[in-house]
Amino acid sequence: MTDKSNVYGSAGDTTHRKTWDRAEFAAKAEERTAREKAEAKARYEAKAAGKKYHRQQTPPSQKSGTRERKLNLEENLNKTTIVPAGAGIGKRGKGAGFYCDVCDLTYKDSLQWVDHLNSKQHLFAVGESGEVEVATLEDVKERFTMLVDRRDREMKEGDWDLKRRLEERKKLDEEERRIKREKRKEKKRKEREEKEKAEKMVGVVTEGDGKGDGEEEDEEMKMMRMMGFGGGFGSTKKKN
Amino acid sequence: MSHLVDAKSMLDTRGLYEGPTVHGVNPLLLIEKIIRERIFESLYWKEHCFGLNAATLLDRAVQLTYIGGQFANQRPTPFLCLAFKLLQLQPPKEIVLFYLSQTEFKYLRALGAFYARLTFHHVEVYKTLEPYLSDYRKLKVRGQAGWRIECMDEFIDDLLTKDRVCDIALPRIPSRAQLEDLEELEPREDVLGSEGEDTETEGEGDD
Ligand SMILES: [Zn+2]
Repeated sequence: MTDKSNVYGSAGDTTHRKTWDRAEFAAKAEERTAREKAEAKARYEAKAAGKKYHRQQTPPSQKSGTRERKLNLEENLNKTTIVPAGAGIGKRGKGAGFYCDVCDLTYKDSLQWVDHLNSKQHLFAVGESGEVEVATLEDVKERFTMLVDRRDREMKEGDWDLKRRLEERKKLDEEERRIKREKRKEKKRKEREEKEKAEKMVGVVTEGDGKGDGEEEDEEMKMMRMMGFGGGFGSTKKKN
Repeated sequence: MSHLVDAKSMLDTRGLYEGPTVHGVNPLLLIEKIIRERIFESLYWKEHCFGLNAATLLDRAVQLTYIGGQFANQRPTPFLCLAFKLLQLQPPKEIVLFYLSQTEFKYLRALGAFYARLTFHHVEVYKTLEPYLSDYRKLKVRGQAGWRIECMDEFIDDLLTKDRVCDIALPRIPSRAQLEDLEELEPREDVLGSEGEDTETEGEGDD
C-alpha cells in the first residue's frame, strides 16, 4: 500500500533543514535568557513575599516530556463561580482551586492552571529544561507498537470500547454545556446591542446608560474568558 | 537535538525567522493567524499538545475520534491542534510516511495525509496520497454545522482537489492533469477509472 521507493530523493524541498543548527542555537540562547529572567523574577517575588530566595541546586537539565498523568481539570470545572480580582496571576499559598505545591501558587481556573504548568517559571521550578527530545523513526515505531499492544489488551479485556465511549461522552457533554453557555451569552449580547441601536435610532439617546452597560458586559465577558467559561453567570450559579 | 515544548517562540521572531521552512515560509504560518490564536487559546492545545514529540504525539493521535477544522463557536478540533503541532515539530518525511502507511489507526492516517498535503512538494503530494484513495474506512467529521460521515478516500480526494479542507487554506498545487501535461506525473493507472468520476454525487461540502 505504501510506495516508499518514489518518495525519497525526488523533487521535494530538501533544503529546508539547512538552517536548523542556527535555529537550534538561537532557541537555546532564548531559553537561557528566559531561564535567567524566571530566576530573577522568582527572586524578586520571594523578596516581595518577605522570604529568602534559594537558588535551585541543580540547573534544569531534565528533558520535558508528556505529562504522565492526565490533569484533573474537569473535576473542578463547574465549581468555580466567582473569581476575585487579581486571581489571574495565581495567589501565593494554598487556597481553594488548583494548587501547585512546587511553586506554592493557587489558581482559580483550569486554563490558567494549565498555563502555569506550561510556564517557564514552573518548568524551571520542577527542574525541566523546557525542551523535548526529537523522536527518531525508531522511537515512533516503538511507541506505536506499545500503543497497538495496549489497545489490543484493552480490547481483549473488553473495556477499550466502553472506556473510550464513556470518555468521549463525558468530553462531549462538557463541550456541549460550554457551547450552550457561550451561545446564550452571545444572544444576550446581541439583544442588548439591538436594543441600544434601536434606542439611538429613535433618538432616545441615553448615552451614559448604554455605554456603561456595554463596558460592564465586556468586563464580565473578559472575566468569563479568564475563568475558561464562555457562558453566563446564571448557568454556573444554578449548579451550586 | 530537541524541540521547544511550546510553539509560540517559533512565531515570536519579529520577522527574523531562521528556522526550517516549508514552501519558503515558517511552517506555522501555513495556518492563518486567527486560527492559530484559537489553537493557542484552546484547552486541548494547552493540556494535550504541550511537550510532545513525533513519538509521544501518537498517544494523542490514536485517541482521535473525528477529523475537522473548527466546530461550534470556532473551536479548533483536536485533529487541527495536532496538525498544527506537527507543523511545529516537522518530523522527517519517513515519520510522516509511517503515520500514513500504518493500518491500525485511521485517524492517524488522516492526520498524516493532512500534514503531507500541507508540507510536501506537489509531485510528492500526489504520489504519497493517491494510494490511499482505495481506503474506504469511515471517518467522523465535525464542523460548524455539526457531524457528518466521510470516507477516507473522499477525504484524500478533497485534499488533492480542493482549496480548503478542515477550514484550512491548502497550499496551491497544480492539478493532476496539469502535472501530467508537464510530464511531472505519469498518468494514473486506471485502478478506479471512470468510476471515480461518476460516483461523485454529493457535490456539497460547502456549509
Ligand atoms: Zn508551579
